[in-house]
Amino acid sequence: MALLSGGLSFLVTIATIGCIYGLLTLGLNVHYGYTGLLNFGHVAFFAAGAYTSAIVTMPPPSTVTNASYEIWFNLPMPFGFPVSLAAAAVVGGLLAFLIGLTSVRLGTHYLAIATFALAGVFSDVLVNEAWLTNGSFGMNSVPKPARAMLSADAWQLAYLGFAVATLAGTYLVLTRLMDAPFGRLLKGVRESEPAAKTLGKDANVVKLKSFVIGGMIAGLAGGIYAHYLGSVVTAQFVPHVTFTVWAAMLLGGAASNTGAVAGAFLVVAFEESTRFITTLYNWIQSVLPEVLSGILPALFGPLPNNPSFIPSMRFVVIGILFVLVVRYRPEGLFGDPAEIDALGEED
Amino acid sequence: MVLDNLLQTVVFGLIEGSVIAVGAVGLTLSYGVTRFINFAYGEFLTYGAYLTVFLAAGLFGSSLPLPVAAVVAIVLVGLLGVAVSRVFFEPISQRGALPLLITSIGVSFILRNMLQGWVGVSAKQLPVPLMRRQDYFGLVRLTDLELGVIVVGVVTMLAIHLLLQRTMLGKRMRATSGNRSLAEVAGIDTTNVVRQTWFISAAAGALSGVLYAVLFSPFRPVVGFEYLIVIFAATLLGGIGRPYGAMLGALFIGLAMNFGSTYLSANYTRAYAFLILVGVLLVRPEGIRGGEF
Repeated sequence: MALLSGGLSFLVTIATIGCIYGLLTLGLNVHYGYTGLLNFGHVAFFAAGAYTSAIVTMPPPSTVTNASYEIWFNLPMPFGFPVSLAAAAVVGGLLAFLIGLTSVRLGTHYLAIATFALAGVFSDVLVNEAWLTNGSFGMNSVPKPARAMLSADAWQLAYLGFAVATLAGTYLVLTRLMDAPFGRLLKGVRESEPAAKTLGKDANVVKLKSFVIGGMIAGLAGGIYAHYLGSVVTAQFVPHVTFTVWAAMLLGGAASNTGAVAGAFLVVAFEESTRFITTLYNWIQSVLPEVLSGILPALFGPLPNNPSFIPSMRFVVIGILFVLVVRYRPEGLFGDPAEIDALGEED
Repeated sequence: MVLDNLLQTVVFGLIEGSVIAVGAVGLTLSYGVTRFINFAYGEFLTYGAYLTVFLAAGLFGSSLPLPVAAVVAIVLVGLLGVAVSRVFFEPISQRGALPLLITSIGVSFILRNMLQGWVGVSAKQLPVPLMRRQDYFGLVRLTDLELGVIVVGVVTMLAIHLLLQRTMLGKRMRATSGNRSLAEVAGIDTTNVVRQTWFISAAAGALSGVLYAVLFSPFRPVVGFEYLIVIFAATLLGGIGRPYGAMLGALFIGLAMNFGSTYLSANYTRAYAFLILVGVLLVRPEGIRGGEF
């Protein structure tokens, strides 16, 4: 069977990454959208899940080049796959529990900084504790479940199917949960902590629960990511991930699960498609008639010619997205303005 | 020997504490009048360091001597701070802390990646000479540059102290910080005060970036963003919005980081800063120094 043709294969990749970011955004939305918790360290839960999946499924170090990790469980595929994902979610939740224990009771700014910094510390741990994580070289032999039974294309599609199903399942569970009394409790704490306390609810416990739920979803996303790429490297888990997820949530609309998923797909599609800008440029240049061929180089000539220019501009656009959404459309594409008003009432 | 090592670590802690203190005071001053934590603050450090390198290498035709280049860079970054405030923050200043905070993340992305797109990710270095450490009192050893960093740090702290206590601007800043609408009623042009504070805050950030670059060359466009955690730690430790607290917090964090990397493991420098902070927050959520400034 031929490989999926270029465009289609690209769409499948975007869709799979989109599902993974969709999960991450749903998780963050539980924190910020529904509970009002400023979590700027979301990438830590994602990384915790990805590394957990890698550790429980990596083959013995003797069979891997450049291995320095000392803990591995080598769970067989495909039956170890659900176990690995469950472990990823549990560890993501556990990390959220630990970080939350120290920080959820802090006020807005303190919480934002505490989560941001704890995620930085966590990433230092990932880089330095090579016995656990293989250091900055990364874990590059994470098995792809059922890869041996399927052709390359069939596997890509099957994995996409699995990612979509997980995203849909999580979406449904969260939607039910947010309509349930527990969801109203989260929003209650978001809107008025004193009121929740008056009704006999322990706001800190509620926040901690919210933190753990979001962390578990992010951990699950990490597990799916690890088995999709087959490798887990510290350089994948930088603060940019956290803020990409934030951009997705703000664009889609905080406190809207539909918005979270839509925002994630839009942001991922944008980020992934910018890598074709050079191809597009060359194509336009090649079809332009001779007379006009000087226009594009004249227009873009003054731009710096370094390889990080386009990737950097991608993040400039993400930054502008933050600014514009907050200023002109705080409810995002699918959010409810009333919910955002409630979010704004801090201190 | 043990004592020498201990003293030397204390001195290194003081040196890095000076760098942190300049940055933390700048951050905390802007918090005082704007009431939000500026995640774009790290970019002021980065721009300070990079502009100094470029000016010293002849960005405007002739290359400036390093100290002149640093001063010009600091002033330019101060103006950048005012511009950033006018373009991004003033239009939404009535909407509360949260939109401002989130906007500042966007601003940090814009500034950092504009620079990175322009200059690339390769590391840059200030043209400072490599120096030999000299003995002082037969106890500690440090280079003239390190000594200079401490002096600049102390002078800056003194200048900020005099600014706040002895000048009209300082009084207006304190009034605006204490109660903005009351200051307004008293006839203070608070919009102007906020802009002046942005200038001072961004300039202090740039100075901190230059000091950092003097001590720890080479650096990349992410330098300020990565150091932001450390500055946050000092700021929070002192209680946000409290300049004297930030100075104290910075010394504490500088010492903690250097003691940690000397006696425990050099891989976790940032982690020490942070673990101390979390420890303090658990006991005293308002930081080590209460009260208004």
